[in-house]
Amino acid sequence: MTAVRETAASRRIVVCVGSGGVGKTTVAAAIALDRALSGGRVLVCTIDPARRLANALGLSSLGNVESRVPDHKFAEAGLRAKGELHAMMLDVKRTWDDLVARHAPDPARRERILKNRLYQQMSSALAGSQEYMAMEKLYELATDRDYDLIVLDTPPTAHALDFLDAPDRILDFLGNDAARVLLAPAIGAGKLGLRLAQIGGGYVAKTLARFTGQAALSDLGDFLQGFQGMYEGFKDRAGAVRALLSRPEVGFVLVTSPSPISIDEAMAFHERLHAESMPVAGLVANRVTPDLWPGAAPLPSPEDLAPPLDARGGNDPGLARRLAETLAEHQALASAERRALERLFESVSAPYAVVPRLESDVHDLRGLARLAERL
Amino acid sequence: MVTGKGGVGKSTVSAALAVLAARAGKRVLVCEVNARERIAPLLGAPPAGSSVREARPGLFTLNVTPHEAMREYGIMVLKFRTIYDAVFENRLVRHFLRVIPSLAELVTLGKILFEAKSEERGRPRWDVVIVDAPATGHAVQLLRVPSALLDTVPAGPLRGDAEWMQALLLDPVRTALAIVTLPEEMPVNEAIELDAQVRNELGIPRAALFVNAMPEVRFTHEEETRLESLVGAPPPLGPAATAARLQALRAEQAQRYLARARAALDLPTTVLPLLPVAEWGAEAVERIADAIAAAPPQGAP
Ligand SMILES: Nc1ncnc2c1ncn2[C@@H]1O[C@H](COP(=O)(O)OP(=O)(O)OP(=O)(O)O)[C@@H](O)[C@H]1O
Ligand SMILES: Nc1ncnc2c1ncn2[C@@H]1O[C@H](COP(=O)(O)OP(=O)(O)OP(=O)(O)O)[C@@H](O)[C@H]1O
Ligand SMILES: [Mg+2]
Ligand SMILES: [Mg+2]
Repeated sequence: MTAVRETAASRRIVVCVGSGGVGKTTVAAAIALDRALSGGRVLVCTIDPARRLANALGLSSLGNVESRVPDHKFAEAGLRAKGELHAMMLDVKRTWDDLVARHAPDPARRERILKNRLYQQMSSALAGSQEYMAMEKLYELATDRDYDLIVLDTPPTAHALDFLDAPDRILDFLGNDAARVLLAPAIGAGKLGLRLAQIGGGYVAKTLARFTGQAALSDLGDFLQGFQGMYEGFKDRAGAVRALLSRPEVGFVLVTSPSPISIDEAMAFHERLHAESMPVAGLVANRVTPDLWPGAAPLPSPEDLAPPLDARGGNDPGLARRLAETLAEHQALASAERRALERLFESVSAPYAVVPRLESDVHDLRGLARLAERL
Repeated sequence: MVTGKGGVGKSTVSAALAVLAARAGKRVLVCEVNARERIAPLLGAPPAGSSVREARPGLFTLNVTPHEAMREYGIMVLKFRTIYDAVFENRLVRHFLRVIPSLAELVTLGKILFEAKSEERGRPRWDVVIVDAPATGHAVQLLRVPSALLDTVPAGPLRGDAEWMQALLLDPVRTALAIVTLPEEMPVNEAIELDAQVRNELGIPRAALFVNAMPEVRFTHEEETRLESLVGAPPPLGPAATAARLQALRAEQAQRYLARARAALDLPTTVLPLLPVAEWGAEAVERIADAIAAAPPQGAP
């Protein structure tokens, strides 16, 4: 067993994070599959709008509830699962609705929020909403279900750190007394309200309306008023999610491509996890160019390649030259990637795996199993 | 407007188009909407920050941040800086301005389009404005703002702005949108979806498709078959054949996705080579510019 597989095997929750397109969904599924093959009851919760994972797992669709990957799907891939693999796809809107229902003091309030236009847009309009709901769902699954392992995939963000910041930003917004005071002077003032009153709440609202239009502002006011009093419940819950994420049974897996931009993000993320005492299970460098010419020997020239080519059926037209060029290019890329990754592995002390760029996309169980072997 | 999936080469293509326009003697502004500034560094110049800077003769760059754009727009509308500062620079107000849907997009796009129509001594300030737009989803959110406002906002200053912005965006003489993609499955799928959104929802004139980082076809089919059997040979032939086989496979896949993109999108298409360089910077951008100049998208402005 290799590094990341081994550390992941001791966790009850694994969260895959990384910048956009690096392979979070694929790695999450591979980790889950791996444990299911060796005997665990596993759930992978993905956020893959492209729905390719559903196809890969042989499920016609994935919803906000878990479904089990059928045995025949394993058989078709030449695999046998000693355990069970379950999968689901996060439905952001549904998860919000459930959360509102849980915290609303009465049905009237719940309806008021659910009907608000701004609330309805929120899952797409409010930055970080997906990330927040991913954490929320994870908490629910971790407390209500008895999986041996839950693997959480995280949403495609340009900046991986958004994932950790999103809940706070949204809670700030929901609990923003200032906004509430600005928009609906009728409701509780408090300290912040006073400060704003000094610059004239009514004037501010009027000025803002010149930008946003009155309708948008009324929606916003109504929305925030709806959440009044529910904020504490949300905040407690978010605190509990955070506490959960710092328990040792949790492990973050940082997925990166070998590009400098993605590596920088992984390093920033690691620093952040470290600062917040959140446990890192490992690093996965994905889609790495394999080293075909290890060691310090100089790369072969066309003249070096011509004789063995001649011995095996000929060297025209200029095949030896093209082979030498292609290997040199390949190796230049491989060593640039290796240098970039060494910087990462040196500065981050965590188990790591280097997964090569496979010959084709990973879109079935067999491909996932192959990838898991490299973890 | 240059857009496409994250990481496909939008900034590179934007910078290369700017280089070409500057080579033709035009006064060019490249606007980017990035948390981390990319364009000036790609042109070998120091970061410009959120003000217009000349990266090289005739070629200017600007990184538009919502915060600065909001400030400029606010001051323009309110006329008085002091009022703006009192209202908008208030920490609490700023905080919640950030979450009003579309406001950040509105001021960002407003700033860009304002540059596009600005004049100096009776002449347009810029011959060309190139926008290194955000990745697909965000780009659509950005470009949709004027029409969304026209649907919801009653008469007033905001509506007036939305009107001229929308007119400029939809004008085939002045505006063109280019999609950048890689010859890979996900980026091509996203390009196809994006193109449908541009046609059906945004209505912005579509001009070109750039298929970036195309591996060259280096081996014939016969050679490829032969390579299979050479992979197991002892070094140096074995490793060289392996590298060649991987290259051939990649090129073959890329050809498939290029064909798929061409079939699904009836756009003038320029294919840009995969450049094997370790340091991505000004030199690479020049080479991409040369490649565009050698085979510009037919019929595009
Ligand atoms: N090691 C690999 N070799 C080849 N292809 C891979 C490898 N890992 C992932 N892929 C492919 O790369 C693509 C992107 O992977 P994936 O969807 O897992 O990324 P992601 O990080 O979840 O993306 P997003 O940020 O958009 O959610 C997929 O088509 C996948 O099949
Ligand atoms: N033609 C090419 N050949 C080889 N590598 C390329 C090519 N074009 C781009 N790249 C690589 O891809 C990286 C990303 O390119 P670029 O920054 O232009 O993409 P982008 O679409 O603007 O990304 P983002 O979505 O992050 O803004 C570059 O740093 C470079 O390493
Ligand atoms: Mg994903
Ligand atoms: Mg860019």
